[in-house]
Amino acid sequence: MTRLEILEELKIVFAPYTPNKEMLHSINEHTDIIKDLKINSANLVDIIIDAENKYHIEIDNESAENMVNVGTCIDVISKKLESIK
Amino acid sequence: MINSGNDIISLDAINITLAKRPQFYSKILTDAEVALYKKEGFAEMPFEHFVWLLWSIKESAFKFLQRNHPFLIFSPTKFVVKHLWMPLGFSETKFNKSQIEDTGFDDQMVLKGIITIESDVLFSRSLVYQELIVSVVNDQSNFKNTWWGIKLIDKPDPQTQSRVVRKFLVDKLQRLFHFDELRIAKSPHGYPLVLNRNKEVGISVSLSHHDHWVAYSFSTARYSFPNEQ
Repeated sequence: MTRLEILEELKIVFAPYTPNKEMLHSINEHTDIIKDLKINSANLVDIIIDAENKYHIEIDNESAENMVNVGTCIDVISKKLESIK
Repeated sequence: MINSGNDIISLDAINITLAKRPQFYSKILTDAEVALYKKEGFAEMPFEHFVWLLWSIKESAFKFLQRNHPFLIFSPTKFVVKHLWMPLGFSETKFNKSQIEDTGFDDQMVLKGIITIESDVLFSRSLVYQELIVSVVNDQSNFKNTWWGIKLIDKPDPQTQSRVVRKFLVDKLQRLFHFDELRIAKSPHGYPLVLNRNKEVGISVSLSHHDHWVAYSFSTARYSFPNEQ
């Protein structure tokens, strides 16, 4: 999967948790999950679980702590997808 | 300036089924913390509440440390709740009010905790109601100079949460310190700053919100009250 494809799918992952729905359309790799999308930190684990289930991957805690913006989420997901090929 | 870190969780907004799954709670709790739950006393608390109680303690600890370590990353399993004491006769009661404010926790049915993050040791106090969990963390085991408040809000959108929690805190600070031009700003790293006439006043505060609940905490342990009348 390309980074752009993952970015598009992340919009669906973030959608239930962001009150800032308008911004979802224009997210880029620098978009911060908490500061920009206004997602409550209490939902961060939900997002990681949703990503795990969507891509059939396991995101370990070391990797999860890096998932602070869209770009780093894509980094982690790409790496995990690559490792199960 | 002494720090304070707090966090609030709305128990009406959590996913109960998900919180009970190892896939979920293993991202928050260590194995030793799961074992803590099995200790006598905690069986009175639903496991999903225990998971979110520990999340709130860890998030509070993160917010406490973040002020001095702006690039600190929140990794829940690295914030370890070593000890957690439930008070005798504990039960989750209804909150039954629209807000509460207090100093210290002597009058409350409070859970006391000790948290370690590498070489740092912090102390927590948590209140668990049927509707919400709130935690406050500082680096002293004495919370008598810790001020805190919890408030129910009408609308859970981020603008309302932000506006109401700031006003809730500012009203409290005005009553205590009698500043004339008080406002809450945000540091470049995201933590709140208390300004009077655009100058920092030397009180470190923590704000949190989740769903229909907002909360603040701050400490005056090393603060003199020059303006107190």
